[in-house]
Amino acid sequence: MQPDGPILELKGFSHTYLEGTPRASEAVGEVSFGIHRGERVGIVGATQSGKSTVVDAFAHLLRLKPGQVFYEGEDVAAPGYDRGRLRREVGIVFQRPDSQIIEDVVGADVAFGPTAAGLSAPETRARVEESLNTLGLPYADYRLRYVHALSGGQRRRVAIAGVLAMHTPVLVLDEPMAGLDPRGRRELLELLIELQRERELTLIVCSSSLTDASLLCDRFVVLDRGTVVMDGPVREVLREADRLAELDITLPEPVVGARGMRELFPDFPTELLTEEELETELLKRLGAA
Amino acid sequence: MLELQRNVIFGQFVDTGSFIHRMDARIKIAVTFLFVVASFLIDDFLGFTLVLPLIVLIQRVSRIPPGYVLRGSQFFLGFLVFILIFQVLFYTGGVPESSYLWRWGFLSISTTGLYTAGILALRVILLYYVTTMLMLTTSLVDLTNGLELIFGPLQRLRVPVNELVLVCVIAIKFVPIFIDELERLARAQTARGVPFDEGGAITRARRIGRLLVPIFISGFARADTLTIAMNTRSYRGGRHRTKFRQMHARLSDWLVLVLVAAWLIAAWQI
Repeated sequence: MQPDGPILELKGFSHTYLEGTPRASEAVGEVSFGIHRGERVGIVGATQSGKSTVVDAFAHLLRLKPGQVFYEGEDVAAPGYDRGRLRREVGIVFQRPDSQIIEDVVGADVAFGPTAAGLSAPETRARVEESLNTLGLPYADYRLRYVHALSGGQRRRVAIAGVLAMHTPVLVLDEPMAGLDPRGRRELLELLIELQRERELTLIVCSSSLTDASLLCDRFVVLDRGTVVMDGPVREVLREADRLAELDITLPEPVVGARGMRELFPDFPTELLTEEELETELLKRLGAA
Repeated sequence: MLELQRNVIFGQFVDTGSFIHRMDARIKIAVTFLFVVASFLIDDFLGFTLVLPLIVLIQRVSRIPPGYVLRGSQFFLGFLVFILIFQVLFYTGGVPESSYLWRWGFLSISTTGLYTAGILALRVILLYYVTTMLMLTTSLVDLTNGLELIFGPLQRLRVPVNELVLVCVIAIKFVPIFIDELERLARAQTARGVPFDEGGAITRARRIGRLLVPIFISGFARADTLTIAMNTRSYRGGRHRTKFRQMHARLSDWLVLVLVAAWLIAAWQI
């Protein structure tokens, strides 16, 4: 493996579900991009753009063809490749937490991954405690609660805790903010930013909305109908706000505001991340006028 | 990875726009019924051999790839083989001494047993095949309407036809949805370290057990949502419902029915 090569790489990745049957449907065609260690990447696109297929490819959860998906420079579809190890290194939080919660009790579920990976009981316990506390679900209070009695937001936290407990260097989140209220979203956003920084995670966020992703990521890979249409630093991608809107991608509020401003100032920039930046830009213009 | 939908095609609808797809659903149901009756009446290999060309014809006209149907039936066929092994080994009909090939305690293999098992297998396969083809070539809406129209007269006898058909159709419709759900669950759990794509048959079977609780929970939730959705749209069963789309049987549809009936009677009588 090359020391400074990408940690995850897709080379001409294409995937057709139920290939060779009358119900075959092509989800992704010829997608290529690499993700480097410690990068914070947003994979964005409308529904049916192929985001989830790309996520599943990262942990080899599809029938992959050899030579298309690489982890640390190794072809994950090569015969004899240790898929178990790949899945212990690439943690995925799926869109619906219920599909990945295995045990009925919170503590047992978070312990599932570490136990399956062969960690000792005290070590597992420490990981569970750490993960639950990190996600704002105090260990003492939550470890014996039933998962199905928790709210949607809490279940998502349990799902994330279950993946965090694995201490994976790569963390993939599929629509992490879906179904959360504004406060839950803000809290989760802050938590993820902190976690990424502390653990130097490679963070991949999948979403059809740039609202939270623009604050969480440094780079966007934009997918449309199974192909990459834009790939670059967040601000560079946001500069093309009109094109993003055409692709049915939800824009962050400051960008929506900036697009509105273009009626007054045709050259008003759209690569704004926060309300403050929008305000500063607006005051600058008004002062000049 | 698990692509279960490849292996279980029960309840799926594949629209190839063929002649069979465009046939009146009532006629298709009637033809299926004829096949079901025939599968019980025909009791020798010659009869089933005569039915074979008809099946090949149906398969060709439907434009559904035979490989797809075969692969989609492998679970079913595997199960059938399993059952038949028992059928042969424990066969206790009036077996003449001369027909025993092998005997050990109460287990035996006899030509009579093999013959009976063979006929039984053909019967079950024919039944499975025609019902699967009916579902592969008929959309759920057509299937519902067709069944309701056929059994409609029973409503005069206060048989709740509408409700019964609805229950059956929803049950069939849920099979592919559940398979899809199982696939999603298996993927998510594989990501967490339960490898569904590795290990022997028994380990795999035990892992499938882990999927049962979540699938039941989501199944109940789905049923609940469906009920609410139907209620909010003021669904009520009963014979006072009218249809927007009316069904029309063409002359060619009737011809198919007559042809199939004649063919099956011939196969039975010879």
